[in-house]
Amino acid sequence: MSAAGPAFDPRVGLGRGLILANPIGVASGTFGFGFEAAALAGISHLGAIFSKGTTRLAREGNQPPRIAETAAGMLNSIGLQNPGVEVVARDYAPQWAEWPVPVLVNVAGADISEYVAVVQRLDGVSGVAGLELNISCPNIAHGLDFATEPGAAARCVAAVRSVTELPLVVKLSPNVTDIAEVARAVEDAGADAVSAVNTYLGMKVALSSRRPVLPGLGAGGLSGPAIKPLALAAVVRVRRAVAIPVIGIGGIASTSDALEFLVAGADAVQVGTANFTNPQASREIVAGSLAYAEQHGLRRFADLRWQELDYPGAPETGATSD
Amino acid sequence: MNVLAKTSAKELGGESDLRRAVDEVAECTSLLPLRSNLFEISFQAPEIARRAQPGEFAQIWVERSHIPLLRRPFSFSRADREAGVVSFYLGAVGEGSRRLRGFAPGDRAQILGPLGQGFTLPDRPGRSALVSGGLGAAPFPLLAERLGEMGEEMVWLNGARVRAELYPDELIPAGLTEVLQFTEDGSQGRTGRVTAGLSPLLKEVDRVYACGPNPMLGAVADLIEESASAGAGTPRLEVSIEAPMGCGFGTCLGCAIPLLPAAGGKEPVVGLCCRQGPVLRGCSLDWESLLRQPAHLG
Repeated sequence: MSAAGPAFDPRVGLGRGLILANPIGVASGTFGFGFEAAALAGISHLGAIFSKGTTRLAREGNQPPRIAETAAGMLNSIGLQNPGVEVVARDYAPQWAEWPVPVLVNVAGADISEYVAVVQRLDGVSGVAGLELNISCPNIAHGLDFATEPGAAARCVAAVRSVTELPLVVKLSPNVTDIAEVARAVEDAGADAVSAVNTYLGMKVALSSRRPVLPGLGAGGLSGPAIKPLALAAVVRVRRAVAIPVIGIGGIASTSDALEFLVAGADAVQVGTANFTNPQASREIVAGSLAYAEQHGLRRFADLRWQELDYPGAPETGATSD
Repeated sequence: MNVLAKTSAKELGGESDLRRAVDEVAECTSLLPLRSNLFEISFQAPEIARRAQPGEFAQIWVERSHIPLLRRPFSFSRADREAGVVSFYLGAVGEGSRRLRGFAPGDRAQILGPLGQGFTLPDRPGRSALVSGGLGAAPFPLLAERLGEMGEEMVWLNGARVRAELYPDELIPAGLTEVLQFTEDGSQGRTGRVTAGLSPLLKEVDRVYACGPNPMLGAVADLIEESASAGAGTPRLEVSIEAPMGCGFGTCLGCAIPLLPAAGGKEPVVGLCCRQGPVLRGCSLDWESLLRQPAHLG
């Protein structure tokens, strides 16, 4: 660090006073409720934890097989297995309250009343730092509906917004014609930030048995490095559509992956599938990102952003904020 | 409903399997080619070798590439605490195991373990039957070694479809009272299935440890149930089962297995092979659901 320049500040804000110590979080569905990783690899390095999708009542999830590896990726059809919001609020949140990392609870539901009920139970609970509205789980019936129609997405977000002051992130589905339109709709409805993207619908076929590997019609959510280029393109589109913070997700497995999303307009990122293979992935990425910032004399991670990117609230090209 | 109860924070606050796991960059010390596509691969991984118990498994990160993406879960076949070496008995059947088959001494992989819950070792020695089908032999050399150290009397019923898939005699550890081989085509040992050899033993053994394809495990469970209802002996059954696994430590929820409800409960419980297993009491599994599942196609 040069003596003349101001110190590097790794923090990023997600709205309503929620400040992350750094922009590296872990994605819902890849980190449980944090306890396994806390035992295995530690959590204190993280900017944020996004919990497993939580519904009003416990869900058993889908029939196996639930996962299938693909080229540089994996398909999952877990079906939102979770213990229900009561267990999360009563048993998990008090432990999160002792953690040095904010935990945002990923909230899922089959209809608006379920989203509202889950959020009402979590509102005001110590240890719940915020919410991530999962309007785009591809693995339950109707789970895609809210994310694919801007009007429905907005109604869901507005309903939740009306019952909580918690920071509200809305997780967007890439399985739509125009992700930017949905992003604008949820911003207008009161979202504090958006995360993009959830998994891409995909399928794997077993030639040996001449059927899909996953049950039912064989579809699951594709994640992992295979989707990174798709996710980057989606993040740029979302960034250009909204002024609120954007959290980039999709195949981030290394420091450069994470920083590329910041270039593409993300304010923060989530490490997902990489957590399965490498429990140290997020730690390595945090350390690598901080090292990069120091080597390149950044003042904030936002300095990485593609300078010519035009978006609502963007600084004049060439101007530096401060 | 008891979804995830076993992976809740309460258990982790107590004694946690995950706290025993270490992630070691491990050098391959040997690769022993066996019949067909089978092989045994060994790694220098001193911490894991010290901690590994029979029936537990490791997640092997074959190489830091995106293909294959996930680690591969394998049971410990042997764990030499003095030499600091762990061994795995594998078939080159998928992308990960094929790459491991190409390893040479000095090549490195990253190994996370021990994971899961292994076989229960008895408080005092008695008599055990070890029942394996094909690659299901994998955890038994270590189990036989540890049981042997306690003075357990052991019969190993070692079966496979054909001779080429049979766990090789020369790797079976010393200390077993008896080893019976079974092949379905009669190409080695007795013709038929291991279950035929198990029936007459059920009134003589205290414990049955089984690992192999689900239909074989189901047949073993049925035999023991029949034996119990006939009043002909009810050995304790422990089985090591397989499920497609993403992480191996309870976060991906990919390796769901059907468990029977706990006492008093009515609804079946979803367990995770990686946390509640891979070794389970025979009486804790919902066999009907398990056997309905399609074979692992992933």
